[in-house]
Amino acid sequence: MITYKYNFIPAGEQALHIVFPEQINISENQLIQELASQLRDSYEDEITDIAPAYRTLTVYFDIRKTNYFKFSNKLKKFLVNYTLEKKNTYGRTFEIPVCYDLEFGIDLADVASFGKLSIPELIEIHSSTRYFIYMMGFLPGFAFMGNVPDQIAMARLEVPRSSIAPGSVAIAGKQAGIYPVASPGGWRILGRTPVTLYTPDNPLPPFQAGDSIKFKQITRADYEAIKELDAHGEYQLKVL
Amino acid sequence: MTNIEIINPGLATTIQDLGRIGHQAQGIPVSGAIDQYAHRLANLLVNNSEKAATLEFSILGPTIKFFADTFIAVTGADSSPMLNKLKINLNTTYSITKGDVLHFSPMSKGRFGYISFANNGIQVAPVLDSRSTNTRVKLGGYHGRLLIAGDNLKINECYTMPSLTNRIAEEQTLTNNIIHFIKGPQWSLFSENAKKAFQNEAFKISAQADRMGFRLDGPTLEIPQKNMLSEGTVLGNVQITRAGQPIVLLADRQTAGGYPVIATIAATDLSKFVQFAYNTPLFFKEISIEDATTKLREKYHFLDNFADTIFKKRYQYPIGPIRKASKKIEKLLTNNQRSVM
Repeated sequence: MITYKYNFIPAGEQALHIVFPEQINISENQLIQELASQLRDSYEDEITDIAPAYRTLTVYFDIRKTNYFKFSNKLKKFLVNYTLEKKNTYGRTFEIPVCYDLEFGIDLADVASFGKLSIPELIEIHSSTRYFIYMMGFLPGFAFMGNVPDQIAMARLEVPRSSIAPGSVAIAGKQAGIYPVASPGGWRILGRTPVTLYTPDNPLPPFQAGDSIKFKQITRADYEAIKELDAHGEYQLKVL
Repeated sequence: MTNIEIINPGLATTIQDLGRIGHQAQGIPVSGAIDQYAHRLANLLVNNSEKAATLEFSILGPTIKFFADTFIAVTGADSSPMLNKLKINLNTTYSITKGDVLHFSPMSKGRFGYISFANNGIQVAPVLDSRSTNTRVKLGGYHGRLLIAGDNLKINECYTMPSLTNRIAEEQTLTNNIIHFIKGPQWSLFSENAKKAFQNEAFKISAQADRMGFRLDGPTLEIPQKNMLSEGTVLGNVQITRAGQPIVLLADRQTAGGYPVIATIAATDLSKFVQFAYNTPLFFKEISIEDATTKLREKYHFLDNFADTIFKKRYQYPIGPIRKASKKIEKLLTNNQRSVM
């Protein structure tokens, strides 16, 4: 049985959102991830794609094989009879090395003063938290993570920057993220990882929604060394 | 071995197919032809599967030199295609001989054109099961980028085309300026004023229009006060930005968005929408999910039948495919006669 309330909302004639309570909640999100994989397996023929997000599960279906009413009724029945398999669904935890040099962490000073902390204290708080990945997107390899401790949860910039360097490790309120490719963005940047999280030749990210990430502080020398290794495909992300 | 050369790339020419489907959960944008209907039709005209890779271009088509025998069709916008400097028709299959040159004039109507190539389209290595290009994340197609002069691509040679003379599709004419929509997931969050303005006032496609999305000019819509959490995006979603301006999400759209979605354009009207001219007002009109589904299925039915029609004509008199070899033989004979005389 699913203990959360949910409903179905059409998103065009070929997709629907299954909408759960509006909150950033790990167990609700784990249910969404689990449902995504089970639905994908159970309705392989009808489902063309599926996109789990914070509190929604978007299901895209093949209009040549079904339609909104038929398919949402099928899914409703599936959900009513659904039992969450108590798998070890917490996922893996990846360790991401981060260099918090001021050159990279261009918002360190602002976030530290927001939290009434010294920069080392801020880094300690940021890197001692384990962040759960609620969803992947809007770009390949971008992980929407939470929850950033309240003390450092500074809101995003009023005016976004036109370009943020790939590998930038950032926060926006309670959300944490890493920019996999150069992109405009308004998140507060605390550091940079030397690890490449997206390449066109190998576009799938190493982690997925449901996994977690822990940041590990490294020196500038480590940063350069890992970058060199990574460029030759010789760096392996550590799974804790 | 490569056998077509891009002499001039035109504007924004990319390799596209039906898209990189099935990876939105990993943040991989779908991409694919922005006018899926024109892409499908182009492929059907040259006896391809709808999945084969075509060349998509905008405003000005590429100049292409062929080093292989094949068959092609050009669909979509009115791009004034010319084969060896002679005008050819849209939506019609043509035989290509080694040495032929295809080129275009700037579009007079529409925004996106497609060139299909017989025997399975442009041959590049698929990435995540798709050959479509997303230039923003440099994924797929030809090195993830727009084509440039001097690029050499590969197609499979093709010498025969069943029912060549029957391979003509009727041109789609724009009958009105109405774009149908289905109420979006956040429809109920919008004020009555915003909903009224969206349905009653004219919008135009702004200059900020690319494969990711088209921004629309028109009335500024009141936006819901509430912030929302990001959720999965759908092709044709009409997002309303914080400035009250609509953006229609298209082929290269990001996989997740956090702006409220007032509507989703009915899939059957998407190819009309993406080909809509600059400075022409368009109006949004609601359609039920049932009607949108029926209309979309009719469109698929037409495409499926189109292939059937040609297949049936295949065995009408004169029996057998039209062979390129027979043309060559005919040519040789004529030349011989001339030299004899």
